[in-house]
Amino acid sequence: MTRSRSAGAEAEAAGVEPPLLLSGVDRTYERGGETVHALQDVNLAVDAGEFVAVVGPSGSGKSTMLNTLGLLDTPTAGDVLLDGREVSDADDARRTRLRKEYIGFVFQDFYLIPTLTATENVLLPTVYDADAKARPRAEDLLGRVGLGDRLTHRPTELSGGQKQRVAIARSLINEPEVLLADEPTGNLDTDTGRQVLGEFERVCDGDVAVVAVTHDELVTEYADRTVELVDGHLEVR
Amino acid sequence: MTRLTELPAVLMAVRNLRRNRLRSVLAALGIVIGVLAIATLGIFGNVLQLAALNQLGGIGDQVIVSPNQDAGADSLTARDVAEIERIAEGRGTAVPLYSEGAAVSGTGGESGFANIYGTNTPAALFTAESGEVPERHRQGALVGTDLASEVDVRVGSLVEIGGNTYRVIAILAAGEDISPVQPGTAVVLPESEFAAGGYDQVVVQADSGEDARDVADEIRDRLNSREDRVSVLELSSILDQINEFLGLLNQFLLGLGAVSLIVAGVAIFNVMLMSTTERKGEIGLLRAVGVEKGDILRTLVVEATLLGVIGGVVGVVLSIGAALLLWYVSPIGLNIILDPSNAVYLVVAFAFGVVISLASGIYPAWKAANLEPVEALRD
Ligand SMILES: Nc1ncnc2c1ncn2[C@@H]1O[C@H](COP(=O)(O)OP(=O)(O)O)[C@@H](O)[C@H]1O
Ligand SMILES: [Mg+2]
Repeated sequence: MTRSRSAGAEAEAAGVEPPLLLSGVDRTYERGGETVHALQDVNLAVDAGEFVAVVGPSGSGKSTMLNTLGLLDTPTAGDVLLDGREVSDADDARRTRLRKEYIGFVFQDFYLIPTLTATENVLLPTVYDADAKARPRAEDLLGRVGLGDRLTHRPTELSGGQKQRVAIARSLINEPEVLLADEPTGNLDTDTGRQVLGEFERVCDGDVAVVAVTHDELVTEYADRTVELVDGHLEVR
Repeated sequence: MTRLTELPAVLMAVRNLRRNRLRSVLAALGIVIGVLAIATLGIFGNVLQLAALNQLGGIGDQVIVSPNQDAGADSLTARDVAEIERIAEGRGTAVPLYSEGAAVSGTGGESGFANIYGTNTPAALFTAESGEVPERHRQGALVGTDLASEVDVRVGSLVEIGGNTYRVIAILAAGEDISPVQPGTAVVLPESEFAAGGYDQVVVQADSGEDARDVADEIRDRLNSREDRVSVLELSSILDQINEFLGLLNQFLLGLGAVSLIVAGVAIFNVMLMSTTERKGEIGLLRAVGVEKGDILRTLVVEATLLGVIGGVVGVVLSIGAALLLWYVSPIGLNIILDPSNAVYLVVAFAFGVVISLASGIYPAWKAANLEPVEALRD
């Protein structure tokens, strides 16, 4: 599969807003009297169907950047645009609603609930909605990540790779435009990691943008585009 | 429950409680004990009060006037009796009594000792278990039920008292009352059977405790104005004090129960804090995927409340069992155990248990719901 590295530019030229855009984003933390610059003047556009890898050593600001993209964190300066709308000043309730509507998350620790089956875990984001179609959708998503025969298994009965695939299915239950993954292969061996990255590739085929932040260089093989974070600065490689 | 678990917050709360059953059970157990404590202590105290009233109620309505032995009088004069009757008029019935002790024996040879009362108007003071208490008592003997079985007599049998033989015309019910006149072990004969002298006492059966008090006061005023000719025994004011004491005792017991429920609340508070801390990552994930603060808050409060509801239901069931056990092992009547006023304690204990649980859940829930998702997801 080949994809242009300037997909963002092309989309902009075509007058389509990228689903996610960071523009001049700074994020500083005050810690014990000194200021930590976790992100400095970060600019990033992510297009629909694009798989962007963000690599960098530990402490370089990857999680901070992903949380900013995912509206879990607000920048100290700069803008976050979701589908062309400025959202960096949104209050908690609005950010919660936007996350529900646009964003899916996958974490290093899968955060599966041990007493729930695979299907129930996938359904978790929808439990507070009266959505009758969620269950067939969850089963379908599990089928798509190759777990069609594990629907009623509990996390303890699944391998690490299978757990992460359940988490991917869960991140897609709300039909997001963007899937954000923080160290998705962090707890997996290389082979299992490859399978999970393969899933991300397929997710992109469905026009969902994927941003994976990791210090695992393996990701670069699967991503359409890799950027590097060094001490809070984003560098294109 | 099926309808209720269709509510997402309830569904999630039930799921969460099931995850650590042992801990949930232990937390609910605290509420069980607290509710049990409030309900049983409350009910026991109330039963005590009801039973005491039931037992003592009668004496509160009676005034017993007897000659003041210290002043040398050993019987009441006819004038005294007439005065007492006049005072009691409209507020109760005055029954003058002769009384003495005597051996009683049945035809089978069994004998016992009994208080023998003499009166022509026994109906105001005595009720029959079998036979009939005559309005005007002219012949025959009324025998108390306990004495009757001791000397083995029935209605129609003959009894021998002090050398004379009488036909038994009624067996007297023992009555629940603790009363100076004990019908269960007494024999009542017509006045004509006693050597004419003064009456030994007058019992005024008043219409109410208040009447009894008024009658007693007036008798003291009139008969003892110059010297203490009679002693007046009237227990309704003592009854009031007993009542007041039992009421205090009841409140004290309820207070004890409340303390145990508050302790249970602390246990729930603790369990909720612990389990939300444990589930921090998961709560962070729920917030990240767009679950609102309010939903998290509601779920956790429902969790705590459910612990209270479950504990409360079990506590109420156990309390009912404890009350029935009390009825089973004690002489207290079922009517007292089943008195509607006892249900109040069940309702209050249950409600208190639920409210305490809910209140204990609020802070941990609020804290968990307001956690920044980023913080919650950081290891
Ligand atoms: N809540 C915080 N308070 C203070 N410093 C923080 C906080 N979160 C992150 N940092 C700092 O910001 C920098 C970037 O952190 P992070 O985004 O977690 O990096 P990465 O995910 O690449 O390991 C680090 O120096 C880290 O110590
Ligand atoms: Mg990180």
